[in-house]
Amino acid sequence: MTHDNHDVTVGEMLRRHGISRRGFIKFCTAAASAMALPPFMGPAMAQQLRNARRPSVIYLSFQECTGCLESLTRSFAPTIESLIFNIISLDYDDTLMAAAGEAAETARTKAMQDNFGKYVLIVDGSVPTGAGGGYCTAGGHSAVDTLREAAKGAAAIVCVGTCASFGGIPFADPNPTQAWPVTGIVADKPIINVSGCPPIPEVITGTLLQFVTTGTVPDLDEHRRPKVFFGNTIHDRCYRRPFYDQGKFAKSFDDEGARNGWCLFELGCKGPTTYNACATLKWNGGTSFPIESGHGCLGCSEPNFWDKGSFYSGLSSPAWGKAGETSPLEVLKIAGGAAVVGGVLGAAAAGVGRMRQHRQEYESIDNEPKGS
Amino acid sequence: MSRLTDIPIRIEPLVSSSSGGLGGGVTAILTEIVRLLERLASLDEPAAIDLRSLPMSPQDRTELQNALGEGEVQATLNAEGISRIHETRVPGVWWVEHRDRHGEPIAELIEVSRVPQILASASEEIAAGARDLRERITAAMAARSR
Repeated sequence: MTHDNHDVTVGEMLRRHGISRRGFIKFCTAAASAMALPPFMGPAMAQQLRNARRPSVIYLSFQECTGCLESLTRSFAPTIESLIFNIISLDYDDTLMAAAGEAAETARTKAMQDNFGKYVLIVDGSVPTGAGGGYCTAGGHSAVDTLREAAKGAAAIVCVGTCASFGGIPFADPNPTQAWPVTGIVADKPIINVSGCPPIPEVITGTLLQFVTTGTVPDLDEHRRPKVFFGNTIHDRCYRRPFYDQGKFAKSFDDEGARNGWCLFELGCKGPTTYNACATLKWNGGTSFPIESGHGCLGCSEPNFWDKGSFYSGLSSPAWGKAGETSPLEVLKIAGGAAVVGGVLGAAAAGVGRMRQHRQEYESIDNEPKGS
Repeated sequence: MSRLTDIPIRIEPLVSSSSGGLGGGVTAILTEIVRLLERLASLDEPAAIDLRSLPMSPQDRTELQNALGEGEVQATLNAEGISRIHETRVPGVWWVEHRDRHGEPIAELIEVSRVPQILASASEEIAAGARDLRERITAAMAARSR
């Protein structure tokens, strides 16, 4: 992690590391395949990248669990080491860098000064604004202040993970730290959301690679996610989709339907409303994805996924009850008393009301970011 | 056993295969290959199909491999991992499989071209090679004359 060689082209850096032209074409072919680009884009991408300057990248971690970075380090194509050593100049990442304390903070401020207006800012985690920003501080600065300062000179901001993109779990009701996604803090920069809890590693590296190759923000959907990775729902590309079309559903995790690999829709699979590339890119170098392991999609790349009721309630079910509880109808049957019925319905109504308010809050963030 | 690919999987051919027929997906790929070959023949324009982007079952893959077969040319590329490239029985149709340094597959293509793009030497490398070789000859001659 150095910050003195931004003017070195990717090609020169490859030569220094003994990576041949063919090795790099291979790398780009694999990356193009991961990004669902036409196969002959690989060699063209290799040619373009060889002449490109390596952009300075600053990676800020805020209110998060480091799962996104854990995911990123497991990218197969491109691998994180090839990305860090050859394609980008990762000038600050407090988890990965060897430097600590003052030396680390100095590296960040120097990279920001030297590359003002040109660096890529990666944000991992939501930004707590409660208690004057005191819930997340590093080097005496709050996350919200650090973000605002770092955003000023950024060419673009890439939000890695659902927390940075949509607030994620810290943003979930009751949001005790008053956490916000980056779009709630920064209004005047191109922002790319790479959501997921965590995102697929190749989606993170592929988005970075695409930005470095073209120097432009890719086509984004209404939630600012790259369409190339978030253009289809999990359901659209799921290998169990034919069973859905035939009306064959698993009713429990150990019934005959589950053993036959039928659709998990009735067990709460959120695939039909979740946009992500899990069903095509898959995980762990293309090994599988959750539905292949017999568990429905949690919808983790969608806004407010944590507040949408039980992971195990079918999408057509009302959003009430908690994971593992019986259905609302069964609750009514068991309880059998008007007072209990009233209580259940009241709690459900309150829950739906809270969710609606929350969703409105999110929508207001996306459309009218809080002043920076 | 260190990788998933090491677990032996028995692939049962589809009824259509055993009777000499082909699955619909494989027929579609072969039809696309014919179109690309005709384009290569008439316009000298190479093309490729990314096999990992297609929803192929193991049976489809085996059927496609059997339908295309193995031709005369095999090449191994050792660059950031091993890549195996062979021409199929259909001239101009190459099966390209790239693996990383850990032996994991990272890309698999059907390339329709005279020679796969990655095998051809680049102009700047040829020029650099010529310069390097000339310098070595000059140095060797100088050493001999001493």
